[in-house]
Amino acid sequence: MKRPLMIAIVIAFFAIPAAAQNKGKRGFVWDDRPTIVFGEDVNIAVTGRALVEWRWFDPDIGEDLFALRAARIGLKGDLTKHIDWEIEREIGAGNLEEDQSRIEFGDWKDVFVRWRTFDAARVKAGRFKMPFGLEQNTGVSELDFAYRALGSRTIAPGRDTGVMVSGELGRLVYEAGVFDDDGDNAESSEIQFVQEGQDLENVGPSFAVRIAGDLFRAIPGSGRLRSANVGIAYTNSDVPEGLNSLRGESFWGTEDFFERVYVKGRRQRLGAQFDWSPGPTSIKAEWMQSREQRNEQSNRNEDLSDFIANAWYVAGTWFVTGEDKDDNVNPKRPLLKGGPGAIELAVRYERLGFESASKQGTSFTNPRAEFQTPNSDSVFTFGVNWITTRWTRVIVNAIHEDFEDANRTPIPGTTSFWSGLVRLNIVF
Amino acid sequence: MNLRQLIRTGVLLVAFALAVSRPLAAQTSDDFFNPEAMQRIDLWLNDSDWAKLKAAFQENTYYPADMTWNGITVYNVGIRSRGLGSRRSAKPGLRVDFDHYNKGQQFLGLKSFVLDNLSQDRTGIRETSAMRFFTRLGGIPAPRETHARLYIRGQYAGLYGLVESVDKTMMGRVFGSIGDDVQNDGYLFEYNYILGSPWRFTYEGSALTPYKARFDIKTNESHAESTIWGPIEELVRLVNDTSSTLFEQTVGPRLDLGAFVRYIAAQNFISQEDGFNGYDGMNNFYLYRLEKSTSHVFIAWDEDIAFSQADYGITARLGENVLTRKTLELPAYASQYLSVLSEASGSASGWLRQEMQRQFDMINEAMLADPVKDYSNAEYQAARETLLAFPDARITYVRCEVAKMTGATRPSGCQ
Repeated sequence: MKRPLMIAIVIAFFAIPAAAQNKGKRGFVWDDRPTIVFGEDVNIAVTGRALVEWRWFDPDIGEDLFALRAARIGLKGDLTKHIDWEIEREIGAGNLEEDQSRIEFGDWKDVFVRWRTFDAARVKAGRFKMPFGLEQNTGVSELDFAYRALGSRTIAPGRDTGVMVSGELGRLVYEAGVFDDDGDNAESSEIQFVQEGQDLENVGPSFAVRIAGDLFRAIPGSGRLRSANVGIAYTNSDVPEGLNSLRGESFWGTEDFFERVYVKGRRQRLGAQFDWSPGPTSIKAEWMQSREQRNEQSNRNEDLSDFIANAWYVAGTWFVTGEDKDDNVNPKRPLLKGGPGAIELAVRYERLGFESASKQGTSFTNPRAEFQTPNSDSVFTFGVNWITTRWTRVIVNAIHEDFEDANRTPIPGTTSFWSGLVRLNIVF
Repeated sequence: MNLRQLIRTGVLLVAFALAVSRPLAAQTSDDFFNPEAMQRIDLWLNDSDWAKLKAAFQENTYYPADMTWNGITVYNVGIRSRGLGSRRSAKPGLRVDFDHYNKGQQFLGLKSFVLDNLSQDRTGIRETSAMRFFTRLGGIPAPRETHARLYIRGQYAGLYGLVESVDKTMMGRVFGSIGDDVQNDGYLFEYNYILGSPWRFTYEGSALTPYKARFDIKTNESHAESTIWGPIEELVRLVNDTSSTLFEQTVGPRLDLGAFVRYIAAQNFISQEDGFNGYDGMNNFYLYRLEKSTSHVFIAWDEDIAFSQADYGITARLGENVLTRKTLELPAYASQYLSVLSEASGSASGWLRQEMQRQFDMINEAMLADPVKDYSNAEYQAARETLLAFPDARITYVRCEVAKMTGATRPSGCQ
């Protein structure tokens, strides 16, 4: 526990003095974050985040009661008024048992450069999140809950290396990109097996597109709903033969409630999103589905029906302290200025389920069955967010999971699980 | 066609359908393990899974497959590589589990069975002959076995031993029912031979860890460790600590001593050198604690190096194992031991060689055609001749040795 706390303290040290406004200054300044300003459009800023949490579980599922959920450090900046860039990497991913004192670097997160001369067509290249999933593409400091919904962590692809074009066309915002693989969330951990004479194949390349906009503005009489944002997204990639399908992990990732099945062929995702934030409240909802082909994957080398994952969630929030719900929530009365900060209540209901397209005959749990025995995880999350400053927030969540198949849960035979957490988010 | 012809044709069709369907409907696990029949098992599994299984033959990873036997297909069974020293890549030994992917799926009342790759037996019939002999002798629980041609995706994949799994289903078959209560809810253990740590029933202390390591629990796995392995620790402790005078009354309620003597005598008769009184300690058996009882029974398993030495001493290694030694120190059990050897000689006489010859005749074609066996056809044929010479030589040897020990008149042919 010593090292995670140390990392959090180091990150907080950078975050807390960042209150002063330094517009127009050059040299080392404290704006939202420590920044070196070289000129009007040339600067480098330090970014960081630490998420520390205390948890409880009923029944016990063998998870740690204290965890440094994530710690990252990064740099971002502008090269000219046309080009900006960002790099970010995890820290503290080393072996805690072996060495308590060393801070080690982990996975690279965002590493990209962007050309932004034209609003209608910005080009981004490097490693970043693929354009699929409202919540998956929401930064951790703007999330309404400690953890993203299961679908956002499972079906939405997450980060990958690629090139993307995005821009605004009237009321619509579009993003379209080509990526090397198919996102970190779809990565298979199985070592690929190839027979003599065959070549190793990777997942991908993939293509992803998302279009979103304030479409209700075009509908007369839509009233307050005019500010609602809706969108659709689609991805397409090739998946090589193997245990490479998406899989269902329980909320805490301790067990697979649906293990990977054999797939080969095309993986497609389809998603729809809804985001509406009138005043101090918000309603968000997403639906997403993946379909994976299982060509030649039966016990007799015949094609199997598609493997399907479905997920959706509906979430609502309300700032009881009256702040507007937008992308940059600032407490009306911050804690450091003697106020209570901003307090928000949140609730979310979600479901992630897996099945085969075919429902003929007897269902089996085997990874080559035509009729896969379905399983799903339905989760209620109740939360309180206490936003103390622009950079710090405390999240309290109570989580209830309910599995469809009693044999495939973190504790076989038990379908219902409660858990909770108190998390400190420090993000700058 | 007039009405009469129509009725007659209909009756004939129905009769034909009944005649064809009856054998299928009447199939039982006894038919599946019928020792007089060479079976054909077809497994259908994905090309890449069969390649993976063979490449990772040392692992116990399950792969899905469809199985066909005698016109009956069972879908989505689980198969995996099995064995200890017998594991092979070219010809993997296989365990077939019907309920691995669907709890409750059975085939002819079986949850699983084993396909023995016969890699350690150049004759291909030592295991099946030994188990058949135990069954003939009686009083020794042994799995049902026969031979099978295995086909993978329609291609001949070799001759295999078809072996009944030692599990709850077999316990129910062996120990029957009391009223409606099938006697298969006891505690079943597979003995785990630990390489480099030979064990001969010496007491290993009161902690359960060493017993847990040597006896793999196969039923009631969720019960408390003290409930599962406590009685084994107690049995071993009492065997080691109890004097001869109290041995029977103390150990007897915890181990069927009569059945134990019958088992080790029969194993000696077939000159099984890697069995309970094996050259490297105990090996190749199951232990079953009967339902609602403290009594344990040994179950025969893996006798594929039996019949190796016709002049294998009838008292060989009996003094090494604590349980064997202390049991046979009691005159009644020493006498029973010799009596079972004599009974085994009598039972084998005129039968064992004939049975071996019958089995050879049954497997010969399949063995010669087996493209992936561990040995050549010439080696198989030489081993076959050697084995066929075993029964007569062994019967004579055992009879002579028993006579020598009991002081009875020695039969002709003794050296």
